Amino acid sequence: MNVLGIPILTFVTFLPAAGMFVVLLLPGSRTRAIKIAANVFAGLVFLATLLLLVRFDAASGDMQFVERLPWIKAIGAQYLLGLDGISLLLVLLTSLLTFVATLSSWGAVKTRLKEYYVFMLLLETGMIGVFLALDLILFYVFWEVVLVPMYFLIGVWGGERRLYAAIKFFLYTLFGSVAMLVGILVLRGAHQTFDWTAMVAAGAVVPAALQGWIFLAFFLGFAIKVPMVPFHTWLPDAHVEAPTAGSVILAGVLLKMGSYGFLRFSLPLLPDASRRFAPVLVGLALVAIVYGALVSLMQKDMKKLIAYSSVSHMGFVMLGLFALTPLAAKGAVLQMVNHGLSTGALFLLVGVLYERRHTRLIAEFGGLAARMPVYAAVFLIIAMSSIGLPGLNGFVGEFMILMGVFPVSWIWAAVAATGIVLGAAYMLWLYQRVMFGRLENPANETLRDLTVRELATFLPLIVLVFWIGIFPKPFLDLIDKPVERIVRIVNPAHFEAPR
Amino acid sequence: MTGPAGYAPGPLAPEIVLLAAAIAALAVHLFVERGGRRAAGYVSLAGIAAAGAALALTPPSAAALFGGHLAVDAFALYVKAVVLLAGGLTIVLAFRFFDVERGEPGEVYPLALLAMVGMMAAVSATDIVTTYVSFELFAIPSYVLAGIFKKERRSAEAGIKYFFLGTLSSAIMLLGLAFVFGLSGSTAYAEAGPALARLDGSAVLVAMSLVFAGLFFKASLVPFHMWAPDVYEGAATPLAVFLSTAPKVAVVAVLVRVMTSLFGGQAPAWSAVLQVVSVATMFWGNLAAMTQKSVKRMLGYSAIAQAGYVAIGLSAWGETGRTAVLFYLAVYVVMNAAAFGLILLADGGRGFDETVDGLRGLVRRAPVAAVSVLVVLLALAGIPPTAGFMGKYFLFNAAVGKGLVLLAAAGALNSVLSLFYYFRLGRAMFLEEALPGPAPSAGRVSLLVTVFLAVAAAALLVLGLLPDLLTTPAARAILEY
Repeated sequence: MNVLGIPILTFVTFLPAAGMFVVLLLPGSRTRAIKIAANVFAGLVFLATLLLLVRFDAASGDMQFVERLPWIKAIGAQYLLGLDGISLLLVLLTSLLTFVATLSSWGAVKTRLKEYYVFMLLLETGMIGVFLALDLILFYVFWEVVLVPMYFLIGVWGGERRLYAAIKFFLYTLFGSVAMLVGILVLRGAHQTFDWTAMVAAGAVVPAALQGWIFLAFFLGFAIKVPMVPFHTWLPDAHVEAPTAGSVILAGVLLKMGSYGFLRFSLPLLPDASRRFAPVLVGLALVAIVYGALVSLMQKDMKKLIAYSSVSHMGFVMLGLFALTPLAAKGAVLQMVNHGLSTGALFLLVGVLYERRHTRLIAEFGGLAARMPVYAAVFLIIAMSSIGLPGLNGFVGEFMILMGVFPVSWIWAAVAATGIVLGAAYMLWLYQRVMFGRLENPANETLRDLTVRELATFLPLIVLVFWIGIFPKPFLDLIDKPVERIVRIVNPAHFEAPR
Repeated sequence: MTGPAGYAPGPLAPEIVLLAAAIAALAVHLFVERGGRRAAGYVSLAGIAAAGAALALTPPSAAALFGGHLAVDAFALYVKAVVLLAGGLTIVLAFRFFDVERGEPGEVYPLALLAMVGMMAAVSATDIVTTYVSFELFAIPSYVLAGIFKKERRSAEAGIKYFFLGTLSSAIMLLGLAFVFGLSGSTAYAEAGPALARLDGSAVLVAMSLVFAGLFFKASLVPFHMWAPDVYEGAATPLAVFLSTAPKVAVVAVLVRVMTSLFGGQAPAWSAVLQVVSVATMFWGNLAAMTQKSVKRMLGYSAIAQAGYVAIGLSAWGETGRTAVLFYLAVYVVMNAAAFGLILLADGGRGFDETVDGLRGLVRRAPVAAVSVLVVLLALAGIPPTAGFMGKYFLFNAAVGKGLVLLAAAGALNSVLSLFYYFRLGRAMFLEEALPGPAPSAGRVSLLVTVFLAVAAAALLVLGLLPDLLTTPAARAILEY
């Protein structure tokens, strides 16, 4: 379907790639022009994704704006894009965070500018494509396209151990994705199509035993990306070594590709296996919640602390998905967005300090609140959002997940709730050590507060943090129908049993 | 020209053109005083182009020619086109190589063309005698090509090694073919195949094993791969391109023909053999490549591993597998030629001593070439959206279609393994700064090679996004033979 006479999804997906070519054509010496072009394109992509909202029909749980073209006739793969409320939210998150990340790189990135923005824009095309593709091969292609620019973002502009972190990220993820590819091939053997909509419509075609194997193959691909314990070890390295914008995208969007994969493909296409393995996944999710939080408590490096907190938060998302109730699943989707906003903002905040002091060690700071009041205020809001303070976005998502999980098992809910308490502990302790107390380190005396440009990058995130926290209905309306539809496929018993 | 029915030379026009070009190139090389060597190269390139045109004009037909010795079917035409492509790419790279070396053994060009004539005949052969003769026709020039730099020790060693092991493998294959004749009483595939299928017992399997041993040697499949890294390393770089692509393409095509028409009755047996060989080849090639310091040796092992992927498609008997093999062969030629071409990029790169360190910081000196090579490396590792991914995908798909899920999984795992060493090159080019002092490859960057790499990368991307451009002719080639 078209909007204003253009195939809107293709337009949204490939607009960043177009921007990439514009940046490529600019001479490398014209740094200002390159920066402007990249930022303008990132902004345009965000506006274009907002345009999707205008024509989007939230009352329907179906795929919308569907574009379908034959692609590889030899195997019956199609160029098939479509979006429902889940994809829409994640696409909006992607375009917003990419714009914010690009803006935040204005002063931070000084070397090899042109390549940097080329990779950023290529990355955006890949990420949007992942959330829109409904043909499994097309999905796989976009999934892999994301890897290469991220490898270079970490490897060229990263910290000290960037080479190690970059290749570790790449190999881990690639290992998972080739397992997923084999799963896709086997699934295709059962369905004779790569078309997600056709697979869902066909219903229970795949025998339960086969579903189990395919589920495991998909699990490797998605769980490494999320990352679920015990596949999380690439994440602290990649997050710590990546440049600020890379961490923002990595935590904000790339991790969501994993949980999105579970929700979009594993649950509805392999319902029997999903039900069978759900307790295992919930178990891993609970371990991640508690373990991630405990490890966060012990970190000396701010970025590493936030990286481990991501493990904990993504554990919440996975718990919500595999509780297999509509309320918990909706909470999980909302929590994906919340985590993208709050963790993205936290990485930006650390980036601000790092740009000024070139260190991220907590012990180097203290008493910053006096020197940088605006910064401290922004940090406080974001930290509270991450903790899940009522009135801010984190609370809504976590509360919905707990509500949805409770009827299934109060023990799961109880364990998850301890994660929230631990989350408050490490976040508040971090805040206390960095912001309060006396400003003792002389190097911090001359720190500048946030500049107007920096504040501008945080503003949209803060607005959304409050908006989702106070009035989440517009966001929940978007995901209501599609999430319910998926949960209905995987756990029909939940809707039948009178209680 | 007229003659008895079935003996008209028309369908063999490409081979005849190529042979004429080889003789012309030889004459130019010998008798033109100044610049005769380079002129021989131009003549050869023109000959390949003319042969390509003749190939395009040749209609495919399943008819047996020359008393059942040759068939110019769609399958043969497709593979011949790939062989011509490999030869053409080799000669373009050779121009650059001999500029750097300041010595141009002009006989390289006619020898390469003669070898190609042999390969093209082998692809068409439908009789065990023709198969063997055409094998020798391309093997003997190959030995000479490997050792063409007589004064370079490694080159001479490569030539000798290739010659001894090659003749040994030819002899083993000949023994197998003799078994085939003895068991079936015929030399033509069309008659011997059904006769072998009616026989049961181990004699047929012995014959098959001997023939396969000879073919696996030429295709550098484990356990007959030992010669390959040494020969590729010792041969001049463009000739390493030639030796690692063209014969492999022809031999795989012969394998397909032999498997289907000669040993069609033994499909379960050869499929099992090829599955084992495929897994062993992929793992051996990739793991050995990881430990290499010399880029050329690394690419030599990578070429072995790539043959292992092709074997996945061979072992998945049936049309899907064979189509996938044909697709992959064409893509492989482009990928491999471009990867070796990297070594020729700069003046300093003599092609014998290039280490990974020499590539450091290449993106600063030659951004277009570095990005192109990155695309090629991604294709070799099988990362979308490149043709290398599509090729591997088709191979895995064929395996899964036959229930060989574990084989496909092994292939997929190997694509991850291969990334270790392909990305060592990528890392050196993009992420590491050049070493202090003049880097081994810090010379003038060659425009010819840059264009070559860029075109190869563009082709790999286009075929990765629109694979139907190649699957359509490949599928037709498989259906009509």
